Amino acid sequence: MALADVCGFKLNEDFGNDYSFGTLPTVNDALKASLNFTVPAGVNLQSDVYSAFNDDSNNVKIHFEHGTTTLAFKYQNGVIVAVDSRATMGPSIESQNVKKVIEINPYLLGTMAGGAADCMFWERVLARQCRIYELRNKERISVAAASKLLANIVYDYKGMGLSMGTMIIGWDKKGPGLYYVDSDGDRLSNYVFSAGSGSVYAYGVIDSGYKWDLSDQEAYELGKRGIYHATHRDAYSGGIVSLYHMKQTGWEKISMTDVTDLHYQYAAEKEKARK
Amino acid sequence: MECLIGIQGKDFVLVATDTVSARSVVAMKDDHDKMYKLSDSLLMAVCGEAGDSIQFSEYIAKNVQLYKMKNGYELSTHAAANFTRRNMAESLRSPRSHLVNLLIAGYDNEQGPSLYFLDYLASLNKLPFAIHGYGSLFALSIMDKYYQKDLDFDGAKDLLMKCINEIQKRFIVNLGKFRLRIVDKNGIQDKGTIAPQPIIAA
Amino acid sequence: MASASVLSEYKAPVSAHFSPYDFNGGTVLAIAGNDFALIATDTRLSQGFAIHSRECPKTFTLTNNTILGCCGFHGDVLTLTKTLAARLQIFEKDHNKPMPTASIAAMLSTILYYRRFFPYYTHNVVAGLDEEGKGCVYSFDPVGCYEKESFRAKGSASAMLQPLLDNQIGGKNQNGYTAQSLTSTQCVALVKDVFTSAAERDIYTGDNIIISVVNKIGITSEKFQLRRD
Repeated sequence: MALADVCGFKLNEDFGNDYSFGTLPTVNDALKASLNFTVPAGVNLQSDVYSAFNDDSNNVKIHFEHGTTTLAFKYQNGVIVAVDSRATMGPSIESQNVKKVIEINPYLLGTMAGGAADCMFWERVLARQCRIYELRNKERISVAAASKLLANIVYDYKGMGLSMGTMIIGWDKKGPGLYYVDSDGDRLSNYVFSAGSGSVYAYGVIDSGYKWDLSDQEAYELGKRGIYHATHRDAYSGGIVSLYHMKQTGWEKISMTDVTDLHYQYAAEKEKARK
Repeated sequence: MECLIGIQGKDFVLVATDTVSARSVVAMKDDHDKMYKLSDSLLMAVCGEAGDSIQFSEYIAKNVQLYKMKNGYELSTHAAANFTRRNMAESLRSPRSHLVNLLIAGYDNEQGPSLYFLDYLASLNKLPFAIHGYGSLFALSIMDKYYQKDLDFDGAKDLLMKCINEIQKRFIVNLGKFRLRIVDKNGIQDKGTIAPQPIIAA
Repeated sequence: MASASVLSEYKAPVSAHFSPYDFNGGTVLAIAGNDFALIATDTRLSQGFAIHSRECPKTFTLTNNTILGCCGFHGDVLTLTKTLAARLQIFEKDHNKPMPTASIAAMLSTILYYRRFFPYYTHNVVAGLDEEGKGCVYSFDPVGCYEKESFRAKGSASAMLQPLLDNQIGGKNQNGYTAQSLTSTQCVALVKDVFTSAAERDIYTGDNIIISVVNKIGITSEKFQLRRD
């Protein structure tokens, strides 16, 4: 007798279909369509729809908001999350005060990089799923499970043009959690992550100043530094550095600093050190 | 860019994978585990398209475990390899196929150790040694020259070191350290990680 | 070889040409004040170098204290605004009260995102009063990323209007100067000025603007003439 027989386990067709967000019908009724996802029929999503508003020969250009630097790292007292606040569409700055840290619940944060609408929408879906999990199980969802939920959802849409590189930060029974999830469906865990167009610059600063036993103040400074230097080199990043600290008691917002102020502050410190 | 290496020895199979997880030009992680445990004595090493590798290998791993629960006995290495191949072949003719390359290493009492090589086009081969990725360009000739039947663990590890050192010396991408595991009659065992020898200037 | 050629002849059915979008011009401007919010849109509808209409306002009244500015591809503008009107009417019948501004913004965001794989080519700004009676403005990208702001220009001449607003309302990057909040009358005067400038330099903006102001009394609209060439 096999384990499945002992437990009385039966496979059923709907099994594992819990988070599904409706099907993808081809609906022509705009009112009905406004209640669910719609995809055009007989059209290649990858090439046709894309070229319809990205071709140079076309006067219609739909730019979505893009471009970012986000970073997060674990250290002895939790996880630091730092992000910039600029949103660009093509060459123009659409906004200088975007909230790129999405507060999923008091113990979970998500960051935004890539398509702003993609991150905003799917992390809201994630927030809903996490709340439903809490109500069903009478305990908070783990960071691993929350990030896996998001990775599975976006994997369903792989190849349809979603663009997001997000970090899920939290605190659960296992302590601090940090995951990187992207629209390829990849999901990784590590001590240091950075995402977005300015990530390469942020990595340089974080990697050279990172150690496990940073003090809180040192960690905040390192986070701010990482974003500041990325905004300095990456034109798609800028605005305000938002800094969060994930603790055992949940996340806390530490600071919001204009990178212009940081620039002059760091320049003065450098000058002072030289003398 | 990724590299999976498998060597069948006398009474075991040695599997080694690189530990880098890369997004475009950035190494996001340098201790990534690319191996999945399918059962007590079945090990799968995976590389390929991000997302696909995780989703496909977890699907296979869970279904192999489900098979054991439903039937009360485990799939043999041969059966597990062919089950995986069938799934890969069906995925290949679906609207969106999985771009994943695999090595399946196992030990069962009837057949002893065996190593299967499966690529994203669903071609399956049972081989004494196998390499996936660019690393194969540099290391397969070394395998051809030095591989012998009935290698013991130290012999297999020496051969692996030769391969890894050559890849480190000639391949432009830094693959960092390699994670080692063996499958034998006692199941799957961790053999830690090894780093290639640093390149010495001539 | 024979089998190969048979395979190569097989093609999935695809449309030969797919260009369901156009750009019909138009500019939208929204400002939120302490106790009011306003949206101004021009009334020109054009396609390339042709002007189809000089009397096509792009401001839509959604509820008694919420208005929408919507421009881009006029076909999508019509579909979207009709859909919104229907959804809002259903809400009002179901709940016996109009939908609050913040909820309208959230709903518009999901309506736009549900077309993520075949987007509405529209630029949207929602303005109204929040539950405390303060003015608020929400701006959207074509696929529903949205943000609460105090002033925003969208559409054809947005790149000309926005920097002026940053300077005059936001007081951005001016050392030792802090911006004062403007009154409704001051904002209307400012809107007329910036649109007059935009009409001077943008071929897709002109003819008239309709300025709609939401305050606790209700919605009032005023028309102001721009260059008509």
